[in-house]
Amino acid sequence: MASQTLRRRLTALLLTTLTAASMVACSGATGQPAAPSSSSTADAGQPKTGGTLTYLESATWNSLYPPAAGYYPNGGVVNNITDRLLYQNPQTLKLEPWIATSLPKVNKEATEYTFTIRDDVTYSDGTKLTAENVVKNIDLFGKGDNSRALAVSEAINNYQGGEVVNPTTVRFRFSKPSPGFEQAVSTITSGLVSDATLALDNDGFGPGNATKIVGSGPFVIDSEKIGTQISLKARPDYDWAPPSLQHQGRAYLDGITFVVAAENSVRTGSLTSGQGDIARQIEAPDEKSVKAAGLSIVSEPTNGVTNSIGLRFPSPLLSDIRTRQAIFAGIDRQAILTALFTDSYPLATSPLAKGAPGYKDESAAYVYDPAKATKLLDEAGWVAGSDGIRVKDGQRLSLTFNLALPQPRSADVITMIQEQLKQIGIEVTTIPGDWAAQVAASADLTKVQAYHSMVARADYDVIKSQYHSANRNVLQNLDSVSGKVNDPKLDALLEKVASSPQERDRAAATAAAQDYLTTQAYVLPLFEEPQVYGLQTYVQGFSTESVARPNLYSVWLNK
Amino acid sequence: MPIARRVASAVLVILLAFTATFILMQSLPGDGVLARYQNPELGLTPEQIEHLRSVYGVDRPVVAQYLSTISNYVRGDFGTSLQSGARITDLIATALPQTLVLAATGFVLAVALAAGIAFLATFPAMSRLKSAVRGLPPLFVSVPTFWVGILLIQVFSFGLGWVRVIGAEGIEALILPAITLAVPISAPLSQVLIRSLDEVQESPFVDVVRARGAGEWWVLTRNVAKNALLPTITIAGLLFGELVGGAVVTEAVFGRAGLGTLTSQAVANRDLPVIQAVVLLAAIGFVAINLIVDLLYPVIDPRLRKVRAA
Repeated sequence: MASQTLRRRLTALLLTTLTAASMVACSGATGQPAAPSSSSTADAGQPKTGGTLTYLESATWNSLYPPAAGYYPNGGVVNNITDRLLYQNPQTLKLEPWIATSLPKVNKEATEYTFTIRDDVTYSDGTKLTAENVVKNIDLFGKGDNSRALAVSEAINNYQGGEVVNPTTVRFRFSKPSPGFEQAVSTITSGLVSDATLALDNDGFGPGNATKIVGSGPFVIDSEKIGTQISLKARPDYDWAPPSLQHQGRAYLDGITFVVAAENSVRTGSLTSGQGDIARQIEAPDEKSVKAAGLSIVSEPTNGVTNSIGLRFPSPLLSDIRTRQAIFAGIDRQAILTALFTDSYPLATSPLAKGAPGYKDESAAYVYDPAKATKLLDEAGWVAGSDGIRVKDGQRLSLTFNLALPQPRSADVITMIQEQLKQIGIEVTTIPGDWAAQVAASADLTKVQAYHSMVARADYDVIKSQYHSANRNVLQNLDSVSGKVNDPKLDALLEKVASSPQERDRAAATAAAQDYLTTQAYVLPLFEEPQVYGLQTYVQGFSTESVARPNLYSVWLNK
Repeated sequence: MPIARRVASAVLVILLAFTATFILMQSLPGDGVLARYQNPELGLTPEQIEHLRSVYGVDRPVVAQYLSTISNYVRGDFGTSLQSGARITDLIATALPQTLVLAATGFVLAVALAAGIAFLATFPAMSRLKSAVRGLPPLFVSVPTFWVGILLIQVFSFGLGWVRVIGAEGIEALILPAITLAVPISAPLSQVLIRSLDEVQESPFVDVVRARGAGEWWVLTRNVAKNALLPTITIAGLLFGELVGGAVVTEAVFGRAGLGTLTSQAVANRDLPVIQAVVLLAAIGFVAINLIVDLLYPVIDPRLRKVRAA
């Protein structure tokens, strides 16, 4: 009996592995990262309306303030309850009309944007989406409101203010060229919400108040259980989907229930045992069991800064370029990917992902060559001490890495780097402790010299957000004590990305910034971080927005 | 007078627990506002974060924060969560009933389990089973709660499909977590019960009862058990702490929104106001349970009753 079951399981496993392998082969042949679910829709027939989808999340949402929607658990909800001025096609990353009836008129300097908006859109509380309301939205996101602890949106820079030109026309002004604004109003961090929602304070956007968050999107928040569950229901009168979509009118689903299943094995097991329809964040080791159960794995690219190690050059340990180059040559990235990840995680070839605007291949700089690494360290004057760790002027070559807790398997990645760098005489330690401890230590150059992180955003601006001293400052280019910028050239290059009015110039500036980060050996990219979803086979029409947050508008259940 | 003293010492215990938590949380790196807003996915500048810290008052001197928290508590204002902004009274009002139900069910199951183990281990007619059964408490106390939870889910939910984990309501949502919680709680209970049953079995009065012709079952249930109960009840009071700790893990594994989930999220996010409120609640619970245990002694043991009355 048992052996029979076992044999049946093995056969099933073999079959699914073969299917999976052939699928991988197919997608490899076309070279398209595009949504695999669209292909399955083709043979599934006409979409059916109805049913409630159970969506398994790894963490609970913590705010529905649109600029906070960069956090995936927040974004999953915000993306499905709000509309935006523009729609970024997730395949081409081109901007298309949505609430705005066409792309905006932009002045030559990219400091003034004029949008014409639809006049037939209503929020789910019955109020109209007006020009005044749109200006109020962007004013709040562009300026923030400190008295209500509402932050400025990361995507909107140099914002001066907006005005209503006439009932269907709005204009926004900027103090400096801000070419990233057009894409910014297409991201979920610029999701439009009603006047009453805009009046809430930070706490009002938090758990316990979800049903008061009102958007004009295809779904409406119906109920919440703090910390475990949030339920959305379809809006029957929704009729303003992006015009380029084939699907118009109401969503196919009647409702969505987001359920938190934080523990990885519980989330995966719930999916494979049929207790959920979609699960976000299937960890690499769990992909196999999802495929073995006959379910599909959808891996979507995040089109921004790749999962990388930033080498903080202002640290005396890393100030010599030869030391940094030695680290580049001393880390076997392919070995890390092979040991820890799956095909869903492509090897990175630049600080930016292949799908990111302005991407340039820099892979020649990341060749694993331990002999070269040893030679570079010798040249830089690092001499092996009694314990094998190199020393110079009495200082041990001991680097501390943060653990990027939101990123997949960060601790395992750093452990492998630790083993590899030990071979060339570099000691690696990590910051112990939870998220708050990581955050506190990471802002301090004396505590963390190598910073593991990534950013998802499908706009040229993303590289500046990550590396500019006045933004995330992940390289600690800005000395927090003296206020001095260590490498002004890096900042200048990044500013050009964000302030060149012409797209061609932004692309060129982005390429220059990637070149500089690579030739200076500031950033070692590891892999292109995807969002990995597990789907029941009857889930059709699943797609994601430009940085892989779920679009559930066109999803339907084929059962 | 003894009552006034007991109340005073209870208040002192609660205040000490509160203060100790405050000091411990302050000594950890990071604070609630940093943890929430320095999230790189939000991409705020250092100036913006500094401003937010002053809005929330976490940049004030530690003593000032401590005193203002206490004075707010005295006025009945428990504040809001730094992480979500939700009112703490709301958070606790949602979480507490969930945990109480889980803890109560888990505790009842644990007592039943412990009683079963102890009787099997001490009832002479079962001597062949004895050593196997006596091995259970050490086993139960050494398996991690986390692992027990996952194992139960894998077998009974994913494997056999008897209960759901996702979307379960009522008793279906309670059964596996309660068993998970009962396993580690039952271990010390049964161990103490076995030991005191053994001791009482060997005391002279039991021989007298036996000599009068009482059967083993009679001896165990009427004479031995009653006398062996006192240490067990004391342990039961102490186990309240274990119950709270077990709930943290159990709720995390099963995704239940109780006090345990609230606490673990709050600690990870340095959400001091939430932690303070939970610690206060736990301390009050602990003090109350131990008070009840104290009051139960004379009810169970007439000897103690006479001492009190005299």
